[in-house]
Amino acid sequence: MSEFKHKVLVVGSGAGGAMAAYTLTKLGHKVLLLEAGRHYDPKTESPMFRRNSEAPLMGAGNKDKNFGFYDATVDGGWQVPDEPYTSAKGSDFYWWRARMLGGRTNHWGRYSLRFSEHDFKGKSRDGHGADWPFEYADLAPWYDKTEELVGVCGTNTGHEDMPDSSPGILQPPPKPRVPELLIAASAKKLGIQAVPMHRAVLTRPKDDRLACFYATPCGSGCSIGAAFQTTTSLLPMAKATGNLKVITDAMVKSVAVNDQGKVTGVTYVDKKTVTEHALEADVVILAASACESARILLNSKHKTHPKGLANSSGQVGRNLMDSTGAWLGAQIPALKGRPRYNEDGHTANHLFIPWWGHQAQANNELDFPRGYHFEIGGGFRQPGSGVSGDKQGYGPALKQQIRDAYGSYVGFALRGEMLPNKDTYMEIDENVKDKWGIPVSKFHFKWSDRELKQIEHGLKTAKQILENMGAEVGELPPAEKAISKGGEIIHEVGTTRMGSSKKDSVTNQWGQTWDCNNLFVMDAGVFASNPHKNCTLTIMTLAMRNSTWLAQQIDNGVL
Amino acid sequence: MHHRNEHETYNYVSGMSRRDSLKWLGLLAAGSAVGLTAGCTKALEIGAASSTEGHWPDLDIKPITAKGYGQDPNLVIPPQSPWPLTLTADEITLVALLSDYIVPREGTIPSASELHVPAVINEWVSAPYEGQQRDRIKILNSLAWINDESKLRFKKPFTALSEQQHRAILDDIAYFNEQTPAQFQRIGKAFLRFKELVLAAFFCTPEGCKDIGYLGNVPIAGDYPGPSDEAKAHLDQVLVDLGLSEYAYTD
Repeated sequence: MSEFKHKVLVVGSGAGGAMAAYTLTKLGHKVLLLEAGRHYDPKTESPMFRRNSEAPLMGAGNKDKNFGFYDATVDGGWQVPDEPYTSAKGSDFYWWRARMLGGRTNHWGRYSLRFSEHDFKGKSRDGHGADWPFEYADLAPWYDKTEELVGVCGTNTGHEDMPDSSPGILQPPPKPRVPELLIAASAKKLGIQAVPMHRAVLTRPKDDRLACFYATPCGSGCSIGAAFQTTTSLLPMAKATGNLKVITDAMVKSVAVNDQGKVTGVTYVDKKTVTEHALEADVVILAASACESARILLNSKHKTHPKGLANSSGQVGRNLMDSTGAWLGAQIPALKGRPRYNEDGHTANHLFIPWWGHQAQANNELDFPRGYHFEIGGGFRQPGSGVSGDKQGYGPALKQQIRDAYGSYVGFALRGEMLPNKDTYMEIDENVKDKWGIPVSKFHFKWSDRELKQIEHGLKTAKQILENMGAEVGELPPAEKAISKGGEIIHEVGTTRMGSSKKDSVTNQWGQTWDCNNLFVMDAGVFASNPHKNCTLTIMTLAMRNSTWLAQQIDNGVL
Repeated sequence: MHHRNEHETYNYVSGMSRRDSLKWLGLLAAGSAVGLTAGCTKALEIGAASSTEGHWPDLDIKPITAKGYGQDPNLVIPPQSPWPLTLTADEITLVALLSDYIVPREGTIPSASELHVPAVINEWVSAPYEGQQRDRIKILNSLAWINDESKLRFKKPFTALSEQQHRAILDDIAYFNEQTPAQFQRIGKAFLRFKELVLAAFFCTPEGCKDIGYLGNVPIAGDYPGPSDEAKAHLDQVLVDLGLSEYAYTD
């Protein structure tokens, strides 16, 4: 490794960065990867088979561990130590970050739904937002390759919102459980179909990863590699080629440019020594997360790039989108005291409800333009710091109320598509710097009526499904109260969007910036829209496709 | 079990029957100087005449300034004593006694104090985080209220009362709902939070998980088997009862 000479420098080791590094190293190119967080090894650091009683505060979440003690996230969450961000007056934005090898892939929900032709051409259909600069057919073979490599369980449902994978790609999904089966029946009465979820969880062994043994929440990390994270798959596989070198605790500050406006490398801060270092590279790929990559570009001003690097369109930081989110749950009296069995499964949705309203939207029957899906909550989960039930009295009668209520609650988590709007974007806060001396991100965020109408529709639908099961739901909250805060669903995308013209987009369809041909973005920043289906599978698919194209450019001597 | 076995003082309850441990706790309390953080709380100072009037201790509770476990704790070997514990011996005794009324031993199922629930409550109310600090105020005031009420009604602290006297007070505060009389509403609500924590601290132990019927957290070889035959039969009946059978899910 002493003679290691990299061709490509990748910033970030999460979904996009690790896939880019894997693809390029497999194709024989030397890659230097910088990660802002510490080294992390799920094989030794994942808390497997732990009980909440063994954790401080029964595993409950707090400002140190937002999603609970056992959540895999290292040095992150809604706040990162010494790395603040700001919000404009009247804007509420939450920015989830992780500072660890593998980034947010170590704790993500593993939901892996393909975007469809419908999703890629939303603007052509309804006039909102932007189209993507390619067809679904262009991406389909890359979705196949990515799903194969990552390991996704599920079925080809034939549902209009779920494009099929090629035969033999998907691994078998786990059997549905009682709350999911009941909800599926209740939804069907309304003409709404529940189907197997697609998840990046192995139900069959693959490479040196084991199949799921149906215990331990995936969000804690997976020591056996069943739940996909780059730290047990793409990164070690890329390492094994001998073509990858990783530097952790390396916080990239800016991208360096020469007088011809071409990228020459990056400047980063070594967090351990708090010293700045410059690295050269022929090609730089930013995959630091949508908002972090945009921040780096905006902090890389140069006389040839006065508005920030790759920002001649003025679109860097613009078009910020999250998913919409809302929750509605209730107790199902008929489920009280139901027979016990092991309901862990792969610890997340076996069934879910994909968007069923394409036809209604085409017929103008709905007052909002874009779809959503429901994830299903409920089940006999490991007891933790909360208890449900009437909680009247004390002693054996009280305990019985808790036992009866256990596993009798179900709920719907709505995840919907947000459209970009002019009031929602990120920029640099010139007044605030982080510990490393880097100016921080400042967020502006606003939901529009289009999202609020969608939430209203979702709440009404969820209420009907709950009432069909005998639940008492009561009055629904107004959409403005029920909707999540910006960023809260952790699907922030769009800040360096791709397009077919350098006038209104930052990159072309290959993630190559229009302004610098040796600078690429391979995270969710390049998303032209934010379909409701969770970003990670498409981040990885684009990173695989686009770094394959990049490798060809290098091979052909173009880069 | 790290943070439970650590604190030898709580092990006194282990291995005793509930009755024995209650007797023991009673003796312990009677033999020690009984007083809570504020010694004599406001309600007694102003000489509230009886328990039919509302009273509230309003203790002067200092915020916890200890550090949390941070954003990168060891998840495999969790921190054993993440912050200093703050309950006094008398408070712990009272917590243990109350916990065992909330979750008494039932046959072979241990009581709350046998499973070291008081140590969990102590860790919880001593934690530096926002939610726990709010609970700290509720719970410390609840403990003080219960002693105030005991003194108002029976001239003795709670731990020195008979079981009948204990139940007289608990019956007034443990059924917080729309019918709760005005003077018990505030304590009723605060005591509900205490009950929730005791119940959670009990049910999340291996013994509590067994009691509630949680059967997961075990590795399964091969495919996930799905619902048991009994669970499937129950679901089928639920679908019939709700008129949903014709919509039952099929692969």
